[in-house]
Order: sequence, then structure tokens, then C-alpha cells
Amino acid sequence: MQMHGFLGRVADVLARHLLSWLHRRVEPGSREWLDALTAESECAEDGWQRLRWALGGVPLVWTINQRRQRNEPARGIMRARIVLGVANIVAIAGWYAVIIPATYGATHFLRCHLSFGNQPGGCQEHPFVFASIAIGGAVLGMIIALALRARFAAYWWAVFAAFTTVGSVWYLRSGIVDLPRYGATQSTMLMAATVGVVLAAIMREPPGTETDHGPSFLSRHRITALLIAGTISFAMVDSLIRMRDRPLVADNVNHYAILGSAMFAAILAGVIGRHHRIPVERAL
Amino acid sequence: MPRPPNTSPQTLSVLALLLESPRSWHYGYALSQLTGLKSGTLYPILLRLADQGWLETRWAEPEQPGRPPRHTYRLTGAGARAARTTLAEAAPSRMTRRLAAVPGSR
Repeated sequence: MQMHGFLGRVADVLARHLLSWLHRRVEPGSREWLDALTAESECAEDGWQRLRWALGGVPLVWTINQRRQRNEPARGIMRARIVLGVANIVAIAGWYAVIIPATYGATHFLRCHLSFGNQPGGCQEHPFVFASIAIGGAVLGMIIALALRARFAAYWWAVFAAFTTVGSVWYLRSGIVDLPRYGATQSTMLMAATVGVVLAAIMREPPGTETDHGPSFLSRHRITALLIAGTISFAMVDSLIRMRDRPLVADNVNHYAILGSAMFAAILAGVIGRHHRIPVERAL
Repeated sequence: MPRPPNTSPQTLSVLALLLESPRSWHYGYALSQLTGLKSGTLYPILLRLADQGWLETRWAEPEQPGRPPRHTYRLTGAGARAARTTLAEAAPSRMTRRLAAVPGSR
């Protein structure tokens, strides 16, 4: 009996989360029917009934969004998609065309002008310069992508920035002689950064905390979501490494690097998510 | 050949129910209970009927404090006429068969 009550409460929470999630899938100007369905869910007698009722919101949201698309001029939609696609391609490919020559050019030019580092050969391309330009370039790429409203490109550069930052710290500490290890660690950090970005993008505020104007970036829920995203990313990548029993990435430094990569990626994803959560009021 | 609009058994069951008291306001939850339609079927039907001008909608104050306002529905004059025509045009045997297939309509 107690178990049944507990499961009922779980179903109730799931139903409310589902309705809240569906709410975010519909533009503010088109929410009337979903609001209607949500209000009626209060009539449900228990959690399971409410969950069944809330599940009906899925086809309703699909219908609402289809209806909105039908009411928009097709040419406008196609043009918007083309513009968005071009913006993403420009933000990724265009910036690669800048960042790669800049990175290699600068490291080559400055190789004999820096006295610090751990280069055994002395006057050679310096990873610090390489990393600084790569990281700065990636962050700038992210800013450009956000300015172009190219969300995919922004995530792309977020992962790149997170990965390069932590990878560079590891690289500077370990030195060139550890290149084989560097490769393996790079892969895990890239995975952590990617998972961190994706999870943080998925995780949003719990029901009732998001408004049409978006939450505060420093809200308690947002920080919690980002931390959870980073930690889950780290745990997932760490588990994979342990399952594969790869001692070469098992030392503490590598673990911190992976954790840092995941956390940094999650924070960047949060920045992107915040930038894009601008309400668009559009009547049907 | 495409089916004429608003002749699915589910839509017919909603129209039939609304026609029973065309001037009264109906709640979505009650409509769902009475027709046996799930919310995911009922609400897209109501939305479509409202878009076509068959249905009038209104937000009603909640009966209990602390609850959100409720959306209510009733047929418009034109909607009631169109619903009567649609129900009459549906072949009785076909309609009976279709309505029998709708859960809760028996």
C-alpha cells in the first residue's frame, strides 16, 4: 500500500515535469491549448491518472506546432532554415579557416621568443602559444556563432574551447614526450566536454522556475543543473575508462582534466542556452 | 479519397456530446470521461473545431481556490448547425459501427 502511494507520487511528479517540459516546447503565443490541458490535469484523482492525462500533451504539442508551421509562409520557413544553415557553416568552417593558420603562424613566429615551458629542444613551437590562440579562437568562435544565432556552431566551439583548455593544461604539465598518453587523454576529455555540453543543453530548470523571460543565469537551479551535467559527464567518461582498464589515464591529473573539461563544457553550454532563451511572441 | 472533415468516429462522438446541450459550457476533462477519448485525442479535435469556428472557448474561473482557470467549450451557432448536418449525413450504420469502436461510447 505504501509502495503504491509512493509510485503514485512518482507518477504525479513525472506528470508535472512532463507538462512543464511540453510547455517549453511551445512558443508563448501558442500555449492556450496546452494551458487548457494542464489546467484539466488538476482534476485527475491520482498520480497515474494525471500522468496518463499529461501524456496526451505530447500529440497536442505536435498538433500545435504543426498548425503554427502551416500558418507560417512556407517560403519564410525555407529561407529561415537556409539562413540558419549557412550561418552555422560560416561560423564553423569560416572560423576554422582563421584559427588554424593563426595558431600555427603565431606559434611558428614566436617559437624562439618565449623562455618558459618544458620544451626539451628549446627553440621550437611552443604549446602555450598554440593553446592560448586555440582557446581564445574557440571562445571567439562561440561568440561569433552566438551573434549569428548559429546555435549548433556555438555548441561546436564550446566543446572545442573546453577540450582545448583542459587538454592544454594537461599537455603543458606532461610535456611532449607523453604524446601517446596525450592522445588517449584527449579522447576522454573530448568525450567529457561533448557529454557535458549535451547534458547541460538538455537540463533546464525544474517546473515553475522558468519564465517566458528566462531564468537568471546564476539561479540556484541553473547552477545545480550545470554541476550535475558536469559531474554526470565526468562519471560517464571515467566509468568508461575504468571499464576498459586503461591505467594510462588513471592518474589524478587526468581525472581532474576530464572533470574540468566536463564542467567547463557544461558552463559554456549554459551560456549558450541562456543566450538563446529569448522568447519569441508570435500569434498563430 | 480523403475523408470529409470532422467525420472521424472520435470527432463525431465529441460533436454528439456537445450537441446534447449546445448552449452549455463543457470542460475538457468531463468530455474526455464521457466520450472515453484520451486527452491526446480529444484536445487536437477541440483545437481543430475551434479553428474551424465550430467551437467557442472561454476561460472559466476555477471552482476551488488555488486551482488554475479552466478552459471551457461549447458549439457556436454555426458549429451546432454544421454538427447536426455532419451527424445526420454520417450513415447510421457506419456511424453506429464507428461509435461502437470508440472506447467508452457504449
